[in-house]
Amino acid sequence: MLFEDRPQDLESEIAQLEARLHDMRAQLDISTYPTPPSSHPDKSWTMPYNTTNTTIKKNTNDQLFRPSSVRASSLHALLLLSDSALPLGSFAYSSGLESYLAHNKPSRRTNPVTSFHHFLKLSIASIASTSLPYVLAGYRRPETLETLDNDLDASTPCIVAQRASVAQGRALLGVWERAFRVSFASEHANGNADNAEASAITAIDDFSSALKSSFEDVDEYDLGPRGHFAPLWGVTCRAMGLDLQQTAYTFVLNHAKAVLSAAVRASVMGPYQAQNILASQSLQDTIMGRIEREWNTEPEEAGQVVPALDFITSATSALQAEAMRSQNRRCVDLDTIA
Amino acid sequence: MRQPAMPIRSPFESSIAKPGQGNVVLSLLPPNNPTLTTLTYKYPLKLVPRAPGFVPTPDPAALSDSCPSRPVHLYLLTYGGGLLPGDHIEVSIKLEPRTRMVVTTPQGSTKIFKTEDNGGHRKKMPANDHLSDMSQQSLDVRIGRQSALCYLPDPSVPYQNSRYAQVQTFTVDAAARGDQRSSLCVLDWVTQGRTSRGENWNFRFWKGRNEVWAADEKTGKSRLLLRDSVILDDEQEDELATDESDDENEDSSHGLNPHPDGGDVPPQAQAGLLPLNIIQERTRPHGVVGTLILSGPVFDKLGSFLIEQFTSQPRIGSRNWSSSATSSAPEDSATARGDVTWTAARVRAGFVLVKFGAKDFETAKHWLGGLLREEGSIVREFGEEALFCL
Repeated sequence: MLFEDRPQDLESEIAQLEARLHDMRAQLDISTYPTPPSSHPDKSWTMPYNTTNTTIKKNTNDQLFRPSSVRASSLHALLLLSDSALPLGSFAYSSGLESYLAHNKPSRRTNPVTSFHHFLKLSIASIASTSLPYVLAGYRRPETLETLDNDLDASTPCIVAQRASVAQGRALLGVWERAFRVSFASEHANGNADNAEASAITAIDDFSSALKSSFEDVDEYDLGPRGHFAPLWGVTCRAMGLDLQQTAYTFVLNHAKAVLSAAVRASVMGPYQAQNILASQSLQDTIMGRIEREWNTEPEEAGQVVPALDFITSATSALQAEAMRSQNRRCVDLDTIA
Repeated sequence: MRQPAMPIRSPFESSIAKPGQGNVVLSLLPPNNPTLTTLTYKYPLKLVPRAPGFVPTPDPAALSDSCPSRPVHLYLLTYGGGLLPGDHIEVSIKLEPRTRMVVTTPQGSTKIFKTEDNGGHRKKMPANDHLSDMSQQSLDVRIGRQSALCYLPDPSVPYQNSRYAQVQTFTVDAAARGDQRSSLCVLDWVTQGRTSRGENWNFRFWKGRNEVWAADEKTGKSRLLLRDSVILDDEQEDELATDESDDENEDSSHGLNPHPDGGDVPPQAQAGLLPLNIIQERTRPHGVVGTLILSGPVFDKLGSFLIEQFTSQPRIGSRNWSSSATSSAPEDSATARGDVTWTAARVRAGFVLVKFGAKDFETAKHWLGGLLREEGSIVREFGEEALFCL
């Protein structure tokens, strides 16, 4: 109900507005600072062109390097968080693809790729309806992280999905602490702090220590923090300066990537076809559509829209066990590197 | 549930109970006499205690320990056997310590009606068409320590174009440990509609949410232990829904079976030919989906039994899946399971969660009823009447 226009229209409008905003920021930068702005001492941009660029026509955008525009879009953090090499182990988890294909093959005379298309769509709808509200809430209210973690744990009926979510969440926490925190938290210490980002960082710190201290004394009834992926993703993206749209989009897109990579592993399709699907307008539309649908869904209203996935996914426990093992190996590898 | 504002008809009416509201308290009066100390309800809801029938065991020694008191059986009924648009049912039940309650819905199914004209025979609320159009039911049960609830109702049968939202909240005693814990067995299932009329997931919206909270009376704090939430939405209330259909044949602008009166249209055989609506897509190939939640000492054995049954069934991809079992052998569970996909898992806080999908209502009923009878603890602790709907 928030979105009255078609998502594509909105998307392109947003893009246009952002481009204009960046453009104007760049102009402002140039007019205010003859040299790179001194208020960003930790950023080692060296802009030899900046002083001369004022003569270049405004509409020849690609001749003008605009550091402020890169910064304003949080491009760097965005790329870090959408990198397939980010060691979260997401790719070890197929979200039940094998099982879906096994269940649906005999009864339908369609080829595996058609079946896969159905699955991808169902899987995206499902992750958006069950997890995305927790991503959004984590971003909007970092201080509720522990409650969100508990509630998501209570709301995930599928053991396989549980394990995958916790494994990825803890891996994300690990990457944040070992790799990202030093850069992104110190940035705020230097006075660039957005209060919201600072509160996200505090929330992660608090959650992390609660998680570490809870390992010893968890009894069956007194449940400690678990480290589920979705709310941690929301809070971490906030700590790293992404906006909420980017946070939601990367979450769902990364899920789609993981499912596609599982399809390649399962020989449903080749890597080019997978990239083709990943790049397609139809996938983008699906992702945008699902995000719009859940944009205002509070976590307590979240739920499974594809009930069949809950019992199909669990049936793959045996297959998943192997996948999780290989994921654990990757985490161990990371430990040895670090 | 928020009630839409209503014109006040009588100053006396609303102070006791609003339409559709019910309130029940089950207490254990000395020496060991379970009694409904509160029982109020208001049209269109009806709460009827069943005449005491089942006595768990003649052996008083056994009664004292595993079964502290005789179960009380409550019928949950609505006039017409279901809910009309705008109906709000709101039931609150409190089980005081050491009591047991069986709740069933002896009407065959909970029908979710959709009246064609806006009027219906009960007045519609004007405020928000989307919300007022919806039937809603909330059930709130507080289960004291050493108490047990066995709630195995009929399935929800949403008629074409109906909208329904249900929230069931169960609160257990957070401080209780071991055998003192509250126990609950809750079934929630929904069917594709009236198959005799060719309905196949043709409703607009059905949402079922079950929550279990642990409340600590001393601190006043409560914590969510389990939430099971299923949302079946045809996503047709906004135009955005059509955007998400791709080249596949799911641009279900109406989502209706083109042969509404063809009761014998095979649901999956034509999956490639008939456009599926979004709910059909997401429930396929099932005609019923449901959840069974078990927790607490009374249902411990049953939970372990179900997990054992699940883990011993053949794994995925096996032939068992597509074999078309005949319902002529309902007792032979191994055969009947060909039409049931299910999973049982021990999730957090000792809960056992069973999720299932089945070809149709009869299949699900026979399968689940068969399992529960085979294991036996429900019949033993609550009597055969607890399985009335199965």
